[in-house]
Amino acid sequence: MNEQEFAAKLKPWLDRAAQGVGEMQATKLKAARLRALDAYQEPVRLYGLVPTAAGTAQAIHYGIVQRALLWLPIAALLATLAIQSMGDIDDTGDIDAQLLSQELPPDAFLDQDFRSWLAKPHG
Amino acid sequence: MARKAARLIVALALGAFAFAACAREADLKTPRTPWHQLSREQQRALAPVAPDWDRMPGYQQQRLMGAARQYPNMAPVQKERFEERVRDWSQMTPDQRKAARETFQGLRKLPPERQHELRERWLREHGGEAAGAPRGPTTPEYSRPPR
Repeated sequence: MNEQEFAAKLKPWLDRAAQGVGEMQATKLKAARLRALDAYQEPVRLYGLVPTAAGTAQAIHYGIVQRALLWLPIAALLATLAIQSMGDIDDTGDIDAQLLSQELPPDAFLDQDFRSWLAKPHG
Repeated sequence: MARKAARLIVALALGAFAFAACAREADLKTPRTPWHQLSREQQRALAPVAPDWDRMPGYQQQRLMGAARQYPNMAPVQKERFEERVRDWSQMTPDQRKAARETFQGLRKLPPERQHELRERWLREHGGEAAGAPRGPTTPEYSRPPR
């Protein structure tokens, strides 16, 4: 039996019960319904996957896939940082090789005067 | 939805900072390389620091090994300068080396003529070429913009 058939069978029973509800009870039920509607959130679409109401097994399956997809950009970011940090040592080695073999001694690059010349505009 | 997105962004930012901190921590934990594991070329290039090698932290050894990889491609005068300077370089503090690298990279960003002008000026004011380090031809490859 699908949801629509179930609803169609249940409706007459609910209608009969509703006729017997007093005014006070109806007001309380209406207030409760409005509170429930306020608290309701739209299901989140994540990468085109929307959780269905079909059953527990399907809901779990979508939950795991959604969680995996959510962690994908974080994993990509961490992988990029890891690769970059490995490359940094090689780059520093190249820089050190050039620094140690060019004309000026390393002390020049710690000299305050030299650093201030670098900062000045040409002219 | 907006709150979830904001939480995700904050989590990513914290993750990136934590990773950077871990990377620095990992730097300090880089394992040492025994001298005998260096190649013959690396040992030749790093011979001046051989007495200190086993006391150096692992990350510093890695950087020197990285520098030594360029040694075979250097001109003879560049090799001579490298050998003359590598020991003093290794005895600087990490902050001094970092500051020197930053200044050197700042120099490389300048046009070649300006680089030459500043080099000549420093050498003139400090009595010509530093003691023990020979003059040689200018090295146009260091005029490339930094990576």
